[in-house]
Amino acid sequence: MREIVVEPLSRVEGEGGITVQLDGKRIKDVRFDILEGTRLIETLVVGKTPQEDVSIACRICAICTLSHRYAALRGLEKALGIEIPPKAHHMRSLMHLGECLESNSLHVFVLALPDFLGYPSAIAMAEKYGNEVTQALALKKFANHIMEVTSGRMIHGENPTIGGFGRYPDREVLLNIKKQARDFLEFAVYGTNLVAGLDIPSFFEKETVFMCCEPGNEFGLMGDSIRISTGEVVDCNDYKKLTNEKFCPHSAAKHCLYKGKPFTVGALARVNNLGERLKGQAGKLFKKHWNDRWLKNPIYNNHAQAVEIVWALEQIPGVVDDILKIKEDPALVKPARTEGEGVGAVEAPRGTLYHHYQIKDGLIADANFIIPTGQNLEDIEKYMRLAVQGMIDQGADDDAIRLQLEIICRAYDPCISCSTHMVRIERV
Amino acid sequence: MRSQLVSQEKKSVGLYGFTGCNGDQLVIIHSEDQLLPFFDSANIKSFSLAKSDNDNSELDLAFVEGSISSQEQAEHVKAIRERTRYLVAIGNCACYGGIQAMELGAKGWDQRFRKVYGDGFFINRTPIESKPIDVFVNVDFYLPGCPIDARQFFYCFAHFLQDDEPVFPDYPVCAECRWRENDCLLLKGELCLGPLTAAGCGARCPSHNLTCLGCWGPMKEANIGAEFNLLKEKDYSLEEIKRRFRMHTGSGMMKPLKKLLGAL
Repeated sequence: MREIVVEPLSRVEGEGGITVQLDGKRIKDVRFDILEGTRLIETLVVGKTPQEDVSIACRICAICTLSHRYAALRGLEKALGIEIPPKAHHMRSLMHLGECLESNSLHVFVLALPDFLGYPSAIAMAEKYGNEVTQALALKKFANHIMEVTSGRMIHGENPTIGGFGRYPDREVLLNIKKQARDFLEFAVYGTNLVAGLDIPSFFEKETVFMCCEPGNEFGLMGDSIRISTGEVVDCNDYKKLTNEKFCPHSAAKHCLYKGKPFTVGALARVNNLGERLKGQAGKLFKKHWNDRWLKNPIYNNHAQAVEIVWALEQIPGVVDDILKIKEDPALVKPARTEGEGVGAVEAPRGTLYHHYQIKDGLIADANFIIPTGQNLEDIEKYMRLAVQGMIDQGADDDAIRLQLEIICRAYDPCISCSTHMVRIERV
Repeated sequence: MRSQLVSQEKKSVGLYGFTGCNGDQLVIIHSEDQLLPFFDSANIKSFSLAKSDNDNSELDLAFVEGSISSQEQAEHVKAIRERTRYLVAIGNCACYGGIQAMELGAKGWDQRFRKVYGDGFFINRTPIESKPIDVFVNVDFYLPGCPIDARQFFYCFAHFLQDDEPVFPDYPVCAECRWRENDCLLLKGELCLGPLTAAGCGARCPSHNLTCLGCWGPMKEANIGAEFNLLKEKDYSLEEIKRRFRMHTGSGMMKPLKKLLGAL
């Protein structure tokens, strides 16, 4: 038997690996191994106050810390009957856009692009692609700055809190963010065209189902219902119907299925489901580069992330204006009750993230988090299997198979720290 | 004397992540202006979050993030210790075990594990309750924070490149908070851990009108007793105080509190 192993998988968040077992030309097994240690986060928040929960839950992941915080806040505020004031809502939009920029630019330019240009890292790429690497790092720095300004710290900032924000940023700081967003647009458009010019292999293509939050009439990163590429729209309170989890012995993250079938969440799902709504430069790029291969090939997640970078930069000036229009900084809104239940759904950079809470006597009685990478695991393994089959048929060697599988896994931008915190086996 | 020890060759450095959120390694990747000089100033032999060409060669310096939560990770950190001259624990998870090492009572972990994974077993890992790095190997230096502060990291890194031990002043978040001229939240009756927590963050949370949660871990000579009595005076229950003390620092703040409660 021939075994191809990638361990650890580099340039992804967390500790994962790939195992392929071949019996002659027959595939015995293709696994995406989640090797990250278990943390049991959902059990840690039980018995804590909502305020304490927000501080713990965001630490599931450093890259998408603000999405976890946002999903937690939305779930908890629904449970506690809190309506946040408009200024707080706009600030949360800005912090979420900052994170989308940070995570997408980190992934597209630092983690994924080196594969396509034949380098082991973005640092090694710098010699030939000095300008691209420098500009990508500057863009990422700007995105981190937005996260720091809105959340109080680059990673795990505590400023977004139950009922609003501890403090609002100064006007000059926000105006500078608005200006920089406009300045970075040119590079973001160039970056999208660069990614769109890459040669993407097609031999493992197959249709799948895409899911994302339904933000209303526009492109967006948040909503109380879920849009599925089959045309269905489902209330986020019914998330369990969409994400039936199953335990796999090779994975500390539980896998998710929709009606027994694998599906994909993340930038590619958002752009495939909602791309027609994109306006401005992002809309132009979508029309220029999108084709129906995006529906069949996960590598296009890189492309979708690049389009989202442009979208986020175009959104920021308007959101900054919305914040500045409201002169007075609102106080934190106090909970209306001490008991309740709520599901918060947001689009984390890697896909739909659910935080579900039950609160009793002012303390968390139960919590359930459904993580994007967990939802993608079945599709990751599906596409890896298709790729392995295709490559065996072509007589590819182990190294070539290994690299192709890494590229597929990495395209999903898996967040392994996040995905190990799926709770509880649902025996439906 | 020291100059004789400093070799002209670049030091070999490895960065490793165990159980946690990867936030400490990400702080380094997020230091855009320092990133290229950082890779240039040493031979970065292993940094799997940032690059693919990693190896297991001998190291002068290893930075280890995350807590240990499987037997395989315990073996791995021991192997790193054997081939490195210095080992630096970075971040709260490595230094104190992090939130996943929160003390929630005896046998609690087994029950909680079953609640999450049922009777499932892993074919590739043997999970254990999360523990800090120094339970398994000798740690030369601790750089706390959740996540670490970039300036502290590069200060620490630069010192080790010169075979010099970094020195951090031992004062609490409370001092940094005074320098920023914030109103005292503790005096307003809020459960702030600023007087007990090691400085380094620049009093981020109190500067946003939010209480210090202790995410940098305890200051060495923190007066746990004085804070405990003050919080009791302000009508916080023992349960509320304990809950906050154990949130971010594993046993870091609980050990002295238990000692104090035992003495009472």
